[in-house]
Amino acid sequence: MPSIGRTLALALLATGLLSASAKAADPEPFRIGVCYDLSKAYTFATPQVSQAALDLADLVNMKGGINGAQVEVIVRDHGNEPQRGIECYSKLSREGVFVFDTLSTPVSLAILPRAMKDQRILMQSLVGRGDAVDGTVFNWVYPVGPTYWGQAANDIAYIKQLHDGDLSDVKVGFVYFDYPFGQEPIEILKTLSGKEGFELILYPVPLPGSDQASVWSKVRRDKPDHIISWMLGGAHVVASKEMKRNGIPMEKYISVNWLNEVDISNIGAEAAKGLKRGTNVVGGQDIPLYKEIMTELYDKGKGNGPVEKTRDVFYNTGLAMYSIMFEAARQAVSLHGHPITAETYKAGLEAIKNFDANGLMAPITVTASDHGGGGRTRIEMWDGATWVPQTDWIAAYQDVVWEVVKESSSKFDGK
Amino acid sequence: MFYRLSGIHHTNYVSDTRLYKIPADRNLALFLLALGLAAPFLVGSLYLNSYMLPWLVWTAAALGLNLVTGWAGQLHLGYAAVMAVGAYSAVHAAKYGLPWEFALLIGGISAAVIGSLFAFAALRVKGLYLALTTLAMQFVMDWVLTHSPAISGGSHASLQAPTFALLGQRITSDTGLYYVAFGWCLLVTIFMLNLRRTGLGRALVAVREKDYAAAILGVNSFYYKIVAFATSSFIAGVSGAILVATFFFLAAPEQFSVAVSIQVLAMVIVGGLGSIIGTYFGVALILLVPGVVNGLVAEGAGALGLQLNVESLAHIPNAVYGALIIIILMIEPLGLGKLYGNIRDYLRVWPFDQFKK
Repeated sequence: MPSIGRTLALALLATGLLSASAKAADPEPFRIGVCYDLSKAYTFATPQVSQAALDLADLVNMKGGINGAQVEVIVRDHGNEPQRGIECYSKLSREGVFVFDTLSTPVSLAILPRAMKDQRILMQSLVGRGDAVDGTVFNWVYPVGPTYWGQAANDIAYIKQLHDGDLSDVKVGFVYFDYPFGQEPIEILKTLSGKEGFELILYPVPLPGSDQASVWSKVRRDKPDHIISWMLGGAHVVASKEMKRNGIPMEKYISVNWLNEVDISNIGAEAAKGLKRGTNVVGGQDIPLYKEIMTELYDKGKGNGPVEKTRDVFYNTGLAMYSIMFEAARQAVSLHGHPITAETYKAGLEAIKNFDANGLMAPITVTASDHGGGGRTRIEMWDGATWVPQTDWIAAYQDVVWEVVKESSSKFDGK
Repeated sequence: MFYRLSGIHHTNYVSDTRLYKIPADRNLALFLLALGLAAPFLVGSLYLNSYMLPWLVWTAAALGLNLVTGWAGQLHLGYAAVMAVGAYSAVHAAKYGLPWEFALLIGGISAAVIGSLFAFAALRVKGLYLALTTLAMQFVMDWVLTHSPAISGGSHASLQAPTFALLGQRITSDTGLYYVAFGWCLLVTIFMLNLRRTGLGRALVAVREKDYAAAILGVNSFYYKIVAFATSSFIAGVSGAILVATFFFLAAPEQFSVAVSIQVLAMVIVGGLGSIIGTYFGVALILLVPGVVNGLVAEGAGALGLQLNVESLAHIPNAVYGALIIIILMIEPLGLGKLYGNIRDYLRVWPFDQFKK
C-alpha cells in the first residue's frame, strides 16, 4: 500500500510540475517586497537579514509553503535613497505585493504615507518612526519588535536589577550618535532618571563616530557606573579602543541591538568579554530554527549565501523578522483561507499570540492597538565565545514608554 | 531636411532675439509640451508617479542650480540645504494653516533669504573656496535639522506635510500631483529659456567668464552674484517644497543630505553646464537610471536563469551606472546637452554636410 501511495504522490507531483493548468489550481504565492539598502549605509546588516529571509522562505517552501501557497521573497536594492525606495514600493505594489519591509529609516519614512493611503502592510522592525507601534493611529504599519524607547527602558530595568532595585546613587552614561537614531532614547532616559533618581550624563558622538577620543576621556572623568551606547558598526570598535585607553572596563558597556559578531571580532573576541547588548533575538547558533536551516539547506549546499554570514546575530534578527511575517500569513490563511489579501494578512498579524519562533526570540503578541508585539528585549553578555543571557525577556516601564508613543503619534494626521 | 532653414532671415533685433529662431525647434518644444500634458493618459500610474513626477521636480531644482553654477559660474555644494529651507518652511507654513500657494511662496522666499545670506559671506571668496563655503552651509543645515525637533518634527525627525491643495482644491490623485510638478517645471523652464535673452542673463554670463572684466564693462559682479544666488535659492526652495508636497508627503533630513547636494550637482554637470535640455537629460540619468538599471539587471538575471546573490544584484547596477557616467563624460565632456546639440547640428544641415560651418 505505501508503495502505491508513493507512486500516486510521485505521479501527482509530476503532473503538478508539468501541467500549467494544475499549477493554476495552487493558491497564489505569498510574496514579500524586500526593498533593502544593499549598497550604501545599511550594508552592515542587510546582507545577513536578506540571506535569512531567503533561507527561511526556502525552508518554508520545502515544507509545503503556507498551507500550500509558496512564499516568495523579492529582494531589491534602493541604495538608501528615499525616491528609489518609493520606486521599489510602487513597482512591487502594482504587481500585487502587499507586504513590504525596508530596513532603512529614511526609506521607511518615505514609504509610510503611501502604504497608509494604499492600505499596504509596512513591516518596519527596528527602523522608522517608533510611535508607529500605536496601531490605533498607524493602521497599516507594523514595527514588530522593540522600539528604541522600549529598548532603552529595558536597559534601565536591567541596571535596576543589578543595583537591587535602587538607582538613587547610580550614574548612567548615554553615548549616542548625534542624529535622530541616537537622540531618540534621550527623552525616555530623562523621564526615567526623574522617576528612578539615577544621574543621566549625555555624551553625543559626532558622525560617523570614528573619532571618540574626547567623549571617552569625559566618561573617564565622570565615572558613570554603566554606559548605554546607541551607535552602529565600526563606532562600537572605536568606542572599545577608547575605553581600553581610558581604563574603563568592558562590563560597563550596554549596546543597542545593532552590534554583531563582525564588531566583536574587530574588537577582538577576548577583549570584548563582558560586553553587553540589548536584544530581541537569541544570539548564537544554539537555536532549533537555525539548526534546521543548517541541516536542510547549508549541509546540502543549498544556502542562499556564504555560511559564515549565518553566524551573525543579524542573521538571527532576520530569521525573527521573517518568521513573524510567515507566521502572520499562516494565521491569515487559518482565519480566512486563501488567497491572502492585505486585510486578511493584517488580521493574521493581529492574531499572533505569544509567538517566539520556537525559542528564537522574545515572545510577541501583536494586537490591533499594539503593533510592536509587546516590545520585550533582554540583555546578553559576550563571554568570549558566545552570548549569555543576563535577564529574562522583559518589557519594563510600559506606562512611560506608551506615554511617549502616544504623545508622538497623536501629532500624526492619518487622513 | 528636418530643420528647413531656407527662408529664415532675421532682419531686425526683435526677430533675432526670438526664443526659437528656427521653427523646427519651436515645434519640437510644442510637441514635448503636448507630450507632457498628455502623459497621464499615455503612461501608467507607476511611471507617472514614480518616474515622471520626481524627474520633473528634480529638473526644476537642477535648473535652479544650473542658474547659479552654469550661468553665473558659482560652484554650489549646498544646494540641497537650500531646498530643505524651502521645504521645511513651506510645510510649517501649511501646517500653521496658510494655503499652499502662500506656503510655497514663503518656502521660496525664506530659501532665497537664507541662500543669499550665505552668499554674502561666501562671495568674498571664489572658486574652490566658495565651493567649500557652500558645503559648510550644507553641514550647518544638517546640524540644525537633526538638532531642533521643533523644525524637523519630533524625535524621529519626520515632518508630515498637510494634503496639498491649490485654490482651495485638495489634490490627491496621481494625475493632479503630476500636473502640479509639471506646471512648476514648465514655469522654471520658461524662465530659464528667457533668461539668456535678458540683460540679467547676459550679465550673469559676463560675471561667469571673468568677473573683473565684467566690472570694467559696468556690470556690478557682486550684485549679480547675489541676484543669481537669490534666484536659484528661490527656485530651490519652491522645488523642495513641491517635492515634499507631491512626492514624499513628509520631510526628513535624509531627503536633503549632502549626498543629495552632490547628486544635484552631478545632474547639472552630466547634463551640461548652462544647458536647459541637458538638465532634463542629466536628471533622468542621475535620478532614474540607477533604479531602471537595477530592475533590468534583476529581470535579466532572472530571464537568463543566473543565480546571483542579492548583493551582487545590488552592486552590478551601481557599477553599470558609474561606468555610464564616465563613458558619457568621455564621449562629450560638456555633457548630455552638448551631445544633443551635436546631433541637432548634424541634422540641421543633413544631408548637405558641406554647408557645415
